[in-house]
Amino acid sequence: MNTDLPPDVVAFADSARHSLTRLGGVDLALRTEVDRDLREPVSRALASIGAFELDVRGDLDELLAGAQLCRIAGAVALAWPVVDELLSVDGARLALINPAAPRVDHGDLGGEWVGADLDGEAHSLEFGEPRSRAKLGPFLMPASLGPARPPVAADDVARHLVLGSWRVLGSLEAALDQVVEHVGARKQFGQALAEFQAVRFAIADASVAVRGLEELAKFTTWRLVTASAAHHSADACALRLHAVDTAVAVLRTCHQMLGAIGFCDEHDVSVLDRHLQPLLRLPVSAESLALRLVPTVEAHEFETLFS
Amino acid sequence: MDYELGDAAQALRVRLRELIAQEIPPGFLGAFSANPDDLALTQAFCKTLADEGLLCLAWPTEYGGGGGSVWEQTVVREEMWAHHEPRGAQYMGVNWVGPALMRHGTDEQRAKHLPAISAGEVIWCQGFSEPEAGTDLASLRTRAVLDDDGWLISGQKVWTSYALMAQWCVLAACTDPAAKSNERLTLFIVPMDREGIEVRPIASMLGPHHLNEVFLDSVRVTEADVLGKVGAGWKVMRDALAYERVGIARYARCESLLSRLQDALVADGLWDALAPALKSRWVRALISLRVARLLAYKAIAQQNEGIDPAAAAAARIVTTTCDQTVAELLLEAAGAASLDAGPDAPIHGAIDDHWRYAQAATVSSGTIEVQRILVARSVLGSSR
Repeated sequence: MNTDLPPDVVAFADSARHSLTRLGGVDLALRTEVDRDLREPVSRALASIGAFELDVRGDLDELLAGAQLCRIAGAVALAWPVVDELLSVDGARLALINPAAPRVDHGDLGGEWVGADLDGEAHSLEFGEPRSRAKLGPFLMPASLGPARPPVAADDVARHLVLGSWRVLGSLEAALDQVVEHVGARKQFGQALAEFQAVRFAIADASVAVRGLEELAKFTTWRLVTASAAHHSADACALRLHAVDTAVAVLRTCHQMLGAIGFCDEHDVSVLDRHLQPLLRLPVSAESLALRLVPTVEAHEFETLFS
Repeated sequence: MDYELGDAAQALRVRLRELIAQEIPPGFLGAFSANPDDLALTQAFCKTLADEGLLCLAWPTEYGGGGGSVWEQTVVREEMWAHHEPRGAQYMGVNWVGPALMRHGTDEQRAKHLPAISAGEVIWCQGFSEPEAGTDLASLRTRAVLDDDGWLISGQKVWTSYALMAQWCVLAACTDPAAKSNERLTLFIVPMDREGIEVRPIASMLGPHHLNEVFLDSVRVTEADVLGKVGAGWKVMRDALAYERVGIARYARCESLLSRLQDALVADGLWDALAPALKSRWVRALISLRVARLLAYKAIAQQNEGIDPAAAAAARIVTTTCDQTVAELLLEAAGAASLDAGPDAPIHGAIDDHWRYAQAATVSSGTIEVQRILVARSVLGSSR
């Protein structure tokens, strides 16, 4: 048993974090809402750190490196569809969609797109006009289904869900870091907010939730490479469901701790929260993910000590 | 990165399940019942484990232990708790009294007590909590007054689990009320049949044996009964608690109970009628239990590094809250019959048993508030 990320992966993550933070961090994501051309330097930065050469369908280290890249993308609300790019199919970015109402973050980037539902049923995607002035998911593009394409491999769908969950984790870690800094600095009634036990307990609970998500993300990523393929889909859905549930709870705490400043776009948490929403709602809701897992539980195929 | 527990640990899990299947009846709910046969069953099972070198797997071989890895110890914790702790109250002696004796006991104390613990022949209780001192143990009032023959201990302990079953007690008493708070206490090893000790059981929702009062009236102890040094009780207790950092593997029993109830509901044709919302909670509970297990593994993997004092606290917070979440889920899924107790109730009365005991999960062995304080200290630094 070794629950630590491999040193090479940590080194890659450090380098990627440095590059993507130096690029502008969350502030760049905010500015990109009004100037979408700012995605171009993001693409160049990703290329410079070798992001597009990562083989996330390969061995555990490659997958973990991709996962760390997605985690950092979450931390800076990176205005680029990193997961879709990492899992491109024949040069077309792969998005997970709900075929009844397909929407894709950064669908206006051009190039070919494949949209697949959670069963792997796939279509080419075509995009119309951007939504106007949407605060939640400002880069989200309505799409329509084009011609059917060969089904996407179940493992690709699973890896997409997992890498997206790592992105959620990165956003939550960054939001919590902001809140920790805030309650340490902000004084009320003559003392820092961090001195109030109610605040300390709320942050303890949020911190535990994020720690738990991190461990589940690592374990699930490891299972994608080591466990039987029959388990990959359930493991991935379970991680995404837990990521969404955790995000809703942790972001609620973050806003409560920050007060009004947390709703302002000058604060990272407002941007992180708004930009994260598509990942928390799409391709299906958390409740749909839960119900999707029920047959797995009924078949005693969800891994426990007694499955 | 690798989450395999290892071949030895996996083989041990298989062996433990074989032994449990052979010796423990399906409806067993633990030793803490009104039926003395349950205690006898656990005593016999401890002998079996001891004979196979599994009772004190974590101990060094020189003290009669099995020298097992931390992951083998983890498997023992999981399997024992999942199967309603067929070691009975033995884990108290095995998990912390024994290790505390190894580290702080005298040669005579080690020679006298360690063989008996490793053979599964003796039950211990701990006399820590008092009416005025629960989490704040440093403020306990039981006094050990020095005289020419040693000390006379008078006072009252409360919530003392297994006190009626136990032959021995690790008793905390104040030997110097004027000393600094971390130097006031001394631990004494006292036989429960010593003159001046009276145990009164407390009727509770937890069931028999979990809660007792222990009254101490001029109980004679001597230098030979001191565990560690005089005034070092707090240090010995802290060391002892370190052996139990991640706490009980409650997630293991929760996973077992959910699996058993699911099978029972399917067999009775009731599973399909469960509301989708309840099945959704079921799924989420299983995921949370997986998270609890992983946080426990994380803390165990770090236990010799001393890197993150909050890791064990995080594991305990998630595990204990899961215990209560699953308790509610089981009760709701099983319906009205879940309020029944005894072998004819759903899954042999395990739902009623689990719900009652789960109420204490966030209170006993370090409250959830203490765990939150530890996590907050790690994230935010100490408060003033």
